[in-house]
Amino acid sequence: MSRNLVELIRRHDQAQAPTALDLLKSAVADHGSVTAEDVQDAAAASGLPEATVYGVATFYDDLQGPRGARHVRACSGTACFAATAGRHISELGAGLGLGVDEVKADGSVSFGEVVCLGFCHSSPALIDGSTVSAGADAVTALLAGSPAEAAEPDWVSLLEEPVLTRPGDWSGLERTLRELEPEQLLAEVVAAEVRGRGGAGFPAGVKWRFTRAAAGAEKFIVANGDEGDPGSYIDKYLMERNPNLVLEGMALAGYAAGAAHGYILVRSEYPLSKPSLDAAIRQAHADGWLGSDIRGSGFAFDITVVEGAGSYVVGEETALLACLQGLRGTVSARPPFPAERGVHGMPTVVNNVETLANIPHIARHGAQAYHDLSPDSKTAGSKLVCFNERFNRPTVYEVPFGMSMRRLCDEVAGGLRDGRTVKALQIGGPLGGILPARLLDTAFDFDQLAAEGCMVGHGSIVAFDETTDMRALTVHLLQFGAHESCGKCFPCRIGLRRAHEMFSSGAPVDQQRFEELLEALELGSLCAHGSGMPAPLRSLLAHFPDELGLAG
Amino acid sequence: MQVTVDGVAVEVSDGATVLEAARQAGSWVPTLCFDDRQAPFGACRACMVAVDGAAKPVPACTTVCRDGMTVDTNDPTARRVVSAVVELVMSELPSPPAPHTELAQVATRLGVSGSRWPGVTHQVEHDLRHPYLAFEHELCISCGRCVRACDEVQGTFALTAVGRGFGANVAAGIGSGFLDSACVSCGACADTCPTDAITERLLLDGGINGGPPPDAPRLRKRLSTT
Repeated sequence: MSRNLVELIRRHDQAQAPTALDLLKSAVADHGSVTAEDVQDAAAASGLPEATVYGVATFYDDLQGPRGARHVRACSGTACFAATAGRHISELGAGLGLGVDEVKADGSVSFGEVVCLGFCHSSPALIDGSTVSAGADAVTALLAGSPAEAAEPDWVSLLEEPVLTRPGDWSGLERTLRELEPEQLLAEVVAAEVRGRGGAGFPAGVKWRFTRAAAGAEKFIVANGDEGDPGSYIDKYLMERNPNLVLEGMALAGYAAGAAHGYILVRSEYPLSKPSLDAAIRQAHADGWLGSDIRGSGFAFDITVVEGAGSYVVGEETALLACLQGLRGTVSARPPFPAERGVHGMPTVVNNVETLANIPHIARHGAQAYHDLSPDSKTAGSKLVCFNERFNRPTVYEVPFGMSMRRLCDEVAGGLRDGRTVKALQIGGPLGGILPARLLDTAFDFDQLAAEGCMVGHGSIVAFDETTDMRALTVHLLQFGAHESCGKCFPCRIGLRRAHEMFSSGAPVDQQRFEELLEALELGSLCAHGSGMPAPLRSLLAHFPDELGLAG
Repeated sequence: MQVTVDGVAVEVSDGATVLEAARQAGSWVPTLCFDDRQAPFGACRACMVAVDGAAKPVPACTTVCRDGMTVDTNDPTARRVVSAVVELVMSELPSPPAPHTELAQVATRLGVSGSRWPGVTHQVEHDLRHPYLAFEHELCISCGRCVRACDEVQGTFALTAVGRGFGANVAAGIGSGFLDSACVSCGACADTCPTDAITERLLLDGGINGGPPPDAPRLRKRLSTT
């Protein structure tokens, strides 16, 4: 990230100016596209150079045209692929008389794809303006002009005492401000060994300690609510059903790390998340849990919610920081780590929303109680998992670590619908390996999934049934990978495009050349997007070689 | 602190990168996005090396030295990744880079000629309106050196990365070219470009006083023979 641009943004932030990205989003909302004049205006108002703002305008999905008065999009996420093999996209386009990224000549309607609306429990999902509809009849209903707003199933906890699905009540912060010094809370979180829930599994306490120790006039807490993993709707549920728990976790992080301000970056694909968090923040101010002198303790903490604009890689922490500051959401090489140089160049903790939701429990009950939540696993705490529409009871479940994937699929989510059978699962998002049905006795746990080339990731469990064409799944994954590459590092920028070309052409794929490409992606890429995409592809090569159309 | 690169022990200061240590030791590490006038960027992944015998190579330009570190710039795995990266870069250009360019020289030294992964190449698009600077976008490999030169060296911010994924490129101003941007014609971008995507036009080519601008391939040929 350019230090000069970050410094320009920091100075402008003190004048409370909106970011360039906010201004460009407003332009699209106002008149459907970003014009040269919009770029110039956004540059003048945000204090950034015109070329820089132009670069931002060309990066995010939400800023790309064409856009009609009515904008209809079909979800191209993996759960929707598992449900229809992509037919809902072609059927909706045909019904509207539009191809993807086309607009009617009179400007009345435009059609596009969107990567995961988080209605994976009811696929396929569509969004018309900001109204989401979902289900097997959704395309027909939308084309008939009567789309029903999609409902979301309640979440369920398997724990006797729910941790993440318990409504946040600020009791962890209340106890902390009464009994614990910041160093004591930090020590508890380090001892609890909270592993990051966003996918990487990095210990949260270590990030906090680095940030606390780093020199900086101010420090920041950033909650990563950019849940871009197709098939996941865990953070969506947390932000929309339990925003207080997330806010409390952020305030506790601020207390321990020495920060007075927090940001939450939420996805624009979740139009209800920002309003939910904003309302909870207002209530917390009214109740004295946020503000300048929280409950007379002298501790000050406030939170701002920022909405993204369509980019998967913005879920990577350095890209997230760039997006938060209104820049292109590209990845930066580390070091410097965010703990050293983050928001406005200041020390910053970046934690996933679910990670932060674990903290109030630790603050209230201590590290040992947190370890006791998952007695059958080396991993501490509980985990939210979510299932796709292929299952009988798809929703978000709070589970201990260590259950077998078979129990999760059969007992928790009720097995597959309509007597279908599991062919394979993709666990933890698009960078997670694919587990074939014969390995369902693998435990849901960081180490045991890793042994099968899979990962806990963010906790989504997407089942493919016996009708899924594994070559089509390969093309689906690579299309996503190539589309979402931020374009910074060469292996990912070019390699994912080439991998997609190899499989989408329909021609036999030279396995050796493909594996050589995977090596370059895995070992050469700058971030987990390029280095992680090979995991599911290797699983497919290992478990379904006969279905991939390989040669040589 | 002391670092050993390819068997040669060198003394480096705190915060030195593996790339700096390698150069100090006289070892060649290929680079494409690196320019020692700019902060390390870590985009091209051509500088991958092995450190302390680990199986996974690391980028030399953004990895900081630790005391006692051993670096192998010829590690077979690292070299495989580097060659693959350079092959991928060559595959995105519609025509091979001119022999004098950094990209061509890195490819030659690595023994990379063709690509195992041919595919779509960049669309040919030329900005030849500016009197001093020509931009042939199809030769751009998105290394970001020109954008950073304009930011970190010149402080003009006339250039930006645009697009994303394979469609990434560089644009001047609001996509309208050098002439309509904040460009002050300093030439720092052309100076650092490793592929001649951006080149300086010569006064004698007639760009200034209304003569027809030379076509870009001729320009490149001239530069490559001087």
